[in-house]
Amino acid sequence: MTAETTAIQTHRAAGAAHGGVGVHAGRGVSNVILGMVLFITSEVMFFSGLFAAYFATRFAGPNQPWPPEAFSHVLDPLSLILVATIILILSSFTCQFAVWSIRKGDRRGFIRNIGFTFVLGIIFLVLQAVDYSILFGEGMTLGSGPFGTTYYTLTGFHGAHVFGGVLMLGVVLYRGMSGQFSAKHHDAVEAVSLYWHFVDVVWILLFSILYLL
Amino acid sequence: MSTSPRKRPASSALVAGGGVVLLIAIVLLVLWLPTGDALYPPEPATEQARSIDSLYNIVFALAVVVFLVVEGLIVWSILRYRRRPEDVDLPPQTHGNNLVEALWTLIPTVIVIYLFIVSYSTLAHVDAVSPDPAVRVNALAGQFQWQFQYLDKDGKVVATQTRAGGDSGGMVVPVGEKVYVTLESHDVIHAWYVPRFLFKRDVVPGQQNHFEFTVPPEEAGQVFHGQCAELCGSGHRIMLFDVTAMTRADYDAWLANLVAEANATPPPPPSGAPVQTVVAKDIAYDKLELTTPADAPFVIDFKNEDAASITHDIDIKDSGGQVVADHDPIPGGQEAQYTFEPLAAGTYTYFCSIHPSVPNMNGTLTVQ
Amino acid sequence: MATHALNPAVVPAYRGRLYEWLTTTDHKKIGILYVINSFLMFFIGGVLALVVRTELAQPGLQIFEGNELGYNEMFSIHATVMIFLFIIPMLAGLGNYVVPLMIGAPDMAFPRINALSFWMLPLGAILLLMGFFVPGGAAAAGWTSYPPLTERLELSAPGAGQDLWIVSLVLIGTSSILGGINFLVTIFKMRAPGMTLFRMPIMVWTVLVFSVLVVMATPVFTSALVMLFIDRNYGGTFFLPPQGQAVLYQNIFWFYSHPAVYVMVLPAMGVISEVLPVFSRKPLFGYKAFIFATAGIGALGFTVWAHHMFTTGAVFLPFFSLMTAAIGVPTGVKMFNWVFTMFRGQLTFSTPLIFAIGFLTMFLIGGINGVFSAAVPVDFALHDTYWVVAHLHYVLFGGSVFGVFAGIYYWFPKMSGRMLDEGLGKIHFWLMFIGFNLTFFPMHMLGIKGMPRRIADYASDAGWNDWNLAATIGGFMIGISMLPFLWNVFVSLRNGKIAGDDPWEGNTLEWATSSPPPPYNFDRLPEIRSERPLFDARHGLVDPHATAPIPPSIAAGEDSHPSIPGPKA
Repeated sequence: MTAETTAIQTHRAAGAAHGGVGVHAGRGVSNVILGMVLFITSEVMFFSGLFAAYFATRFAGPNQPWPPEAFSHVLDPLSLILVATIILILSSFTCQFAVWSIRKGDRRGFIRNIGFTFVLGIIFLVLQAVDYSILFGEGMTLGSGPFGTTYYTLTGFHGAHVFGGVLMLGVVLYRGMSGQFSAKHHDAVEAVSLYWHFVDVVWILLFSILYLL
Repeated sequence: MSTSPRKRPASSALVAGGGVVLLIAIVLLVLWLPTGDALYPPEPATEQARSIDSLYNIVFALAVVVFLVVEGLIVWSILRYRRRPEDVDLPPQTHGNNLVEALWTLIPTVIVIYLFIVSYSTLAHVDAVSPDPAVRVNALAGQFQWQFQYLDKDGKVVATQTRAGGDSGGMVVPVGEKVYVTLESHDVIHAWYVPRFLFKRDVVPGQQNHFEFTVPPEEAGQVFHGQCAELCGSGHRIMLFDVTAMTRADYDAWLANLVAEANATPPPPPSGAPVQTVVAKDIAYDKLELTTPADAPFVIDFKNEDAASITHDIDIKDSGGQVVADHDPIPGGQEAQYTFEPLAAGTYTYFCSIHPSVPNMNGTLTVQ
Repeated sequence: MATHALNPAVVPAYRGRLYEWLTTTDHKKIGILYVINSFLMFFIGGVLALVVRTELAQPGLQIFEGNELGYNEMFSIHATVMIFLFIIPMLAGLGNYVVPLMIGAPDMAFPRINALSFWMLPLGAILLLMGFFVPGGAAAAGWTSYPPLTERLELSAPGAGQDLWIVSLVLIGTSSILGGINFLVTIFKMRAPGMTLFRMPIMVWTVLVFSVLVVMATPVFTSALVMLFIDRNYGGTFFLPPQGQAVLYQNIFWFYSHPAVYVMVLPAMGVISEVLPVFSRKPLFGYKAFIFATAGIGALGFTVWAHHMFTTGAVFLPFFSLMTAAIGVPTGVKMFNWVFTMFRGQLTFSTPLIFAIGFLTMFLIGGINGVFSAAVPVDFALHDTYWVVAHLHYVLFGGSVFGVFAGIYYWFPKMSGRMLDEGLGKIHFWLMFIGFNLTFFPMHMLGIKGMPRRIADYASDAGWNDWNLAATIGGFMIGISMLPFLWNVFVSLRNGKIAGDDPWEGNTLEWATSSPPPPYNFDRLPEIRSERPLFDARHGLVDPHATAPIPPSIAAGEDSHPSIPGPKA
């Protein structure tokens, strides 16, 4: 017991002697953030697979009408989906404000901003559900040819990721409200914000490719 | 750290050298003995196969040399450098040598580039297709049978060979002429593979693959066995076919006969025989129970309502598994009248020889 | 308190040993769980393989008369189990055990995620094997599960088994990805003072590249799987012609599965690179060259996927042919480095070294017979024949499995504190080595003479009978070779010679602690000045007790409450 305590003190001295090199806590990004960056890398690869399939399907035949005539009007960029897009982009900003707040130690600003982000995320999901019901009304389903299959797969998996992000935001919000974050200890907030930005970027790509391209 | 280059007894060098020599001797012996043939491809049967065969020999020679060099070094090291009781001091602590690293990066690189060049030039020959092939064949693969459609110059089907092998010859081609094959599938992926052609090509639905081959004249009269090489379901292994090489004259006669057969009216069924109808659709018979009188011929009007690439037939086996009636399969969209010889009373199984393992293509025939 | 999870010694006694193992977050226990689970899967996969070999021993259908789909289930689940539930988790498990020890860390970066990664595997295995008990049977379209054979077609795979296969692989893939992330963070963030990147043991380097490949490639496979699932169950048309493209799946699948081949072999190379220097009493020849070759293999691994598709007619052949040949170069560099590590050394032929030499010899053949397929026209002859079966088993069995056993014999003393019996180990090696070659060498002959893969039966006049019989006899010999091994483990755990901290005169940090190590791994670390810290310490080049380790709670990255380890009971 005593020996161990001494050992730790020795270790701290050694760490100081090494100028901090090799001491885990003080070196570069934290474990949590690095882990999240790597997780996002793998998510990027996942969506790359889906996007690759989308392009391969869309540009398979030279004369394939895209979208097919039956659905030529359903994907209008100037509709509900634009509102959803703006809301999601907005949520990225509020999320970043939350990070900046907690870095300064402003807990109230942090909780307010993360709360906004959380609510905006939920609104996005609701809007997407409404949009899906409109598309279903038009007769477009997963089974209605390559167009429907790729559309719902891409947006569906994005939606699932938004849902996951909302859950993470909820946890961060709860932990923030119970005072677990401070200017020094908020790696979880940084990590979740990275994830939320990633989800946002994927949506911007999706919107551009599905609706504008 | 104390290291000393130790003096190794000369005997261990002898043993190690002997081991390396033995290794080389064994490898050469295996290659020289008749069993060594097993490591070479079968006799190539097309011009393309011959160039693949010579490429194989080049790769094989390189492989043997590389194997002997590396394995020789391993054998040498393990026989020569065994630790002895007197080895208390460490051996020289060699951490590496940039020169040899460069060397053994460079040499494999050269070998690899050489291999790439020879295989690329062989590929150019193997994959070449000419604008005016002498014979055009569509090989149509369906679960689980091959059909071969013969095309005229305009690409119109003149005759279809629905019997993939056996006495019918399967896919018949003239020797000494360019045969252009188009591969087509409408269900799953198959692969057209003839071992003696040293060649296979996938039959991918939604995509047409082509290749060309020429059987040299001395192979006239030969039959080459082929089979599907891409897992295509429960009947994968029964997707066999033959390629028969004939002289031009024999080939023309064979093709004319195939055309004539297709146009001929089938012989009328024996009068008075009972006629029943069976329809095959979605890889299933519409009836799985049939009854017919004993010791009397009977007739089944058989309709195949599946896609054209899917063939069906009705064969009969007795309770011991012995096939007692065998008919030619028909492609989807066609119908045939199968006449059956009299059967003794008993219970039989009628089944599709193309889909023997599909439960819905095995029915019970009660002969009473 | 956070330390409870890391220090089972303070867990109250009533929780018992089973509870302790089921809830552990200690990387060493999780590593051992990985190994045990993998051996269980090795057994299941092995039994399936023996069923396949028994059917093929003679022409004619002996076992699967009237149920040929059953045969397809056997080899499909055999390969899936061996690849996804045996080799990859086994290597991940060895990595789990040794990587934190080798870099002087008290645990993995995320111990609880580590436990989660492991527990997904048995769940995935249950889902996969449940396929045998659902209508329609287990997945039967090969481990590659190419559509349209796995699409919603009458003669394809209509049963739930294929869906279970997909779900199970998504789960196992997620486990791999989380494991890979955990390894990377551990390796980048948790190294002891002095353990720079270029002082890390090669095993750690190979796990690093392994993890990069897993994190980058596995999600792509997951995307193919979910698309296939949508095709099968929700009317999707990704891979179903005419609207979808069958070859698209192959591209996505092999974009993952070729790197996955390196995933399956790199850590085994790492094991060999630890074993050879220790038993040769020399450093690894060309340490840095070896690292660059490993990284090179990892990078090139992403550019060769289409060499599995040379015969599809939908591939740009020259590029992939060149890349495939090129990846042989770094592999060759490694081979020479290994051999020159032994060259002029002092070799002690303990079981780990014998298995390592087995790896060298078998992997050499597996590398050489792969070059045949890199020459595209030759691949036209060899693709999808038994030649390929021979090739992949020489790489994955002759390579990886021999490497795994080298690692098991090498680290068993560390894991258990007791030595395995050398005599039984050698019997195990020779039975397995001879059985392996008897099984898989004849497959070259079968393949070149035209026997396709994945057929339940063959004509008796095709000239394949003798080789098939030989392969079957060899297969059973491999099976029998496991008996001395299991007996060895069983006996040695009780009565084996006490190992001590460092029975092999090892080079790396895991030998600097007790066997088995304490929950927090190290009391003291030697000074780290080279890639062989323990060698340096043994020969008086550095201070053997220079550095105290990092307290687990700090190192575990728990950002809230740093605390001092609890007292040892």
